[in-house]
Amino acid sequence: MMTPEGLTALEQLNELRLTDAERAQTLSIFGDMEAREAALQEIPTDGVEVMVHVMPLTNVLRDDVQKQPFTRESLLEGAPEHTDDSWQVPRLVK
Amino acid sequence: MKYEAVIGLETHVELATKSKIFCACGGHSTKGEPNTRVCPACAGMPGMLPVTNKRVVELAMRAGILLNCDISRYTTFDKKSYYYPDLPCSYQITQWFHPICRNGSVEVTTKDGTRTIGIKQIHMEEDAGKLVHDDWTETTLVDFNRTSVPLIEIVSKPDFRTADEVMAYLEKLKTMFRFANISECEEGAMRCDVNISIRPEGSEELGVRTEIKNMSSLSSIRRAIQYETARHLDAVERGTETLVQETRRWDDVKGRTFSMRNKETAADYRYFPDPNLMPILIGDDWLQRVRDTMPASVEEKTAEYQSKGLSEKEIASLTSERALCDLFDAVTALGRDPKDTASWILTECGGILRKHGQVMSELQITPERLSRIMEKVSGNEINRAAGRKVLEAVLYEDADPDAYCEAHNLGAQGDADAVRQVVLKVLDATPNAVKDYLGGKKKAFQALFGGCMKELKGNGDPQVIRALLEEELSKR
Amino acid sequence: MGQFVTEIKSGGGIAVDDTIQVKGYETKAGSRILEGFRPLFSAEAVERLERAGYDIAGKSAVGEFGLDLLGEFAYGAETCDTLRGAAAELVAAGTVKGALCVDLNGTPRRAAALSGVDFLKPTYGTVSRYGVIPCACSGEQIGVAAKTAGGVRELLRVVAGHDPKDGTSLPAETYDYHDGKAAPGMRVGIVKELYGAASDEQKARVTACAERLRGMGVAVDEIALPLADAARTAWNLCLCAETCNNVSRYDGVKFGYRSPDYRNIDELYVNSRTEGLNFLTKFVILYGSDVLSKGRYFTCYDKALKVRRLVAEQVKALFKDYDALLCPACSETEYRPYDIKDAFMTVFAESLFTAVPNLTGIPAMVSGGVQFMADALRDSDLLNLAEALEGGNAS
Repeated sequence: MMTPEGLTALEQLNELRLTDAERAQTLSIFGDMEAREAALQEIPTDGVEVMVHVMPLTNVLRDDVQKQPFTRESLLEGAPEHTDDSWQVPRLVK
Repeated sequence: MKYEAVIGLETHVELATKSKIFCACGGHSTKGEPNTRVCPACAGMPGMLPVTNKRVVELAMRAGILLNCDISRYTTFDKKSYYYPDLPCSYQITQWFHPICRNGSVEVTTKDGTRTIGIKQIHMEEDAGKLVHDDWTETTLVDFNRTSVPLIEIVSKPDFRTADEVMAYLEKLKTMFRFANISECEEGAMRCDVNISIRPEGSEELGVRTEIKNMSSLSSIRRAIQYETARHLDAVERGTETLVQETRRWDDVKGRTFSMRNKETAADYRYFPDPNLMPILIGDDWLQRVRDTMPASVEEKTAEYQSKGLSEKEIASLTSERALCDLFDAVTALGRDPKDTASWILTECGGILRKHGQVMSELQITPERLSRIMEKVSGNEINRAAGRKVLEAVLYEDADPDAYCEAHNLGAQGDADAVRQVVLKVLDATPNAVKDYLGGKKKAFQALFGGCMKELKGNGDPQVIRALLEEELSKR
Repeated sequence: MGQFVTEIKSGGGIAVDDTIQVKGYETKAGSRILEGFRPLFSAEAVERLERAGYDIAGKSAVGEFGLDLLGEFAYGAETCDTLRGAAAELVAAGTVKGALCVDLNGTPRRAAALSGVDFLKPTYGTVSRYGVIPCACSGEQIGVAAKTAGGVRELLRVVAGHDPKDGTSLPAETYDYHDGKAAPGMRVGIVKELYGAASDEQKARVTACAERLRGMGVAVDEIALPLADAARTAWNLCLCAETCNNVSRYDGVKFGYRSPDYRNIDELYVNSRTEGLNFLTKFVILYGSDVLSKGRYFTCYDKALKVRRLVAEQVKALFKDYDALLCPACSETEYRPYDIKDAFMTVFAESLFTAVPNLTGIPAMVSGGVQFMADALRDSDLLNLAEALEGGNAS
């Protein structure tokens, strides 16, 4: 069961913050989903392989060729903060 | 009680590819101005999809073959999530569930003998970007050139007991990987995480384990291992502190390790299979093709060169660089003598590079040109000193050997008779110096020698001149 | 025009959902976190349309990352009810000839059913996802909305086909959507579990459709898909996990929205994401993160991936005997407003009708307010069925 402490840890891990009302609502939806997960557990899956891809493609590979069609200026254009050549963030600790 | 260290290594090696692992941007993290080898995917922008570089898979297979691993028949990519400004998508594509190689081993030799180190697995992954901290603006600058540059991570078993063994292992990986064109293994292209614990000798149990993250220089790795082992010993034997399982950072200036912030180490990476990357199946045919196209190993080359009569020192120097072996093989294939070829590459090319402040790995010359110079010298068309001069011009002026000789009127000076004529001319022209020399003033020899050199426009072989001078003077 | 967030060319043309990139035009995917983001390239599907001479009419509004029921919760749209089902409404009104929409959790199918237009979510891997703002890559797919099945077929032929820039793209270079079976002689199964879960009006629609099909020589009976409910849970688990991972790139560092209020990198991350994402997205992230966490991975996520295989097998078995499945696309024929705090469970409930095609990659088509599903790569059969029904209407 999702606990308030567990939810706080999840918020931190995902770099976001909920209001108190949102936290209460979130815990309640987690509760709703628990019943759904339990129903999923009822389905026997021993010996069943996971299915990550719905289409059976394999070995989708490309040749080792360099292409550089995007300019630095265009990439940096939409940056919230940048210098002539780099993205910029507040100085990291140490 | 006697204790022993138990050390395991996770070694990240940048692969030598033209493009990145999942996009077509240029590989090779050290090249280019910041953010010039970047596309929207490298900058974390949505919309682009990863497509795996085939060369990366084949180089990882090569590494696995060299380290005696089982190559997986089925291998997949997974996503690992965490937030850091050098990770533009906030996830790294790596291999968690089905790595490409498992169960290998490598022998390392130190002064204490040879031991076998187990390899748990090798997996492919993408590198992160680079952060540059700017004190002036109090900001950190983010460069994504290195983002998605292909890496393999080699995870050893905890089989090392000493820092010497770790050094020998890393040196061996470096040589092997450079030699097989897997990695250029330049500064920073090989980075290690080191796991350390200690236990009473003979015990099978493991002590509290700490991990030192992200070191790239061999000397740092050695010092960090020595420091950390001593710290563990002090804690266990003298109770200086209580060891906890944690991740630590090596500070090269302070010469000690520090505990890292809890947030960085307690993360749950939430690995899951990447739905955008289809599984890779490695069949017998493909594996055999990779084996067949693998460059000869250091051992194979060493045996070959021994049979050609090269000295141990020459073999060691040549096999330090794949490119040197390739050059040597090509020049000898053009009919040049193996001993002579080794000497020209190592002594002559090496000497000229040193003079220009360069190292052997920077040598660039076509086998045809080197062979041509050697041919001219061994055929007495020019002397060795002239040959050296031609070589320098070939290396630094992109000169053609024949054209250069012609343009600089090289050719006759190697001929002893021609030099003798010059010597006789100088002796006749400076009778005072001859008299001084014969009268016991040995210094006068230098003046005579200089005169000959001047006459030969600097193209004479000093040894030949000296010998002829002495011979002719003794006749007077 | 309220349903366009960006108008590119007026009159006719094709609407492109704001979860699909058009080079140089702001693409927000309905989210504040992408404010000001102008993609440097167009989606492959958009490129193909333009190459074939179609005009892009504009970016049609979507809810934040397309996660809500019909597009209600787009950034800045709290007061703008007209955004609901934007692409389908534009098609229905004749403002555009057709639309490209991302089918992530059934939204364009629901919208088509409510607006009375056609929408086909094609077989996974037939239309490139290059240029889609990604959420759940394993099952989201660009589909086509148009007034008629003929319109859908025309546009789909243009956008479908192999794209080496999408590693999950199927190898066929082109698709000929004229190669399907003729409707008369087909066998269609009404999915009991989905039929039973819908309102009486929806049931009546399905029954009426079945009657018309029988009238044209299609055999219709009822079939069971016992894993339908499990398929919904499995797909929503996959969707949350993958979306959590894919939207973790929006952090205020590289592009889009950055909170003005921060003193260090942690505050920059937290405040940008807290202010930039709505509660539905936040819940999806938190729940998705949880089902991937160390303690829960094997009981939740891994389990969902195994159930996915069982569902795919169950569906495959049905298609041995049936050419298509028939069911409602949503529970009711009328739209009911809901609050964002209930959004996740509302969408979850409705995704009962739409999850199987997302989970297993099979094509699904909404036409005449009902939904058909077919086996992978049998998209043409769906178009033929819809066309037959529409032809019946016309006569």
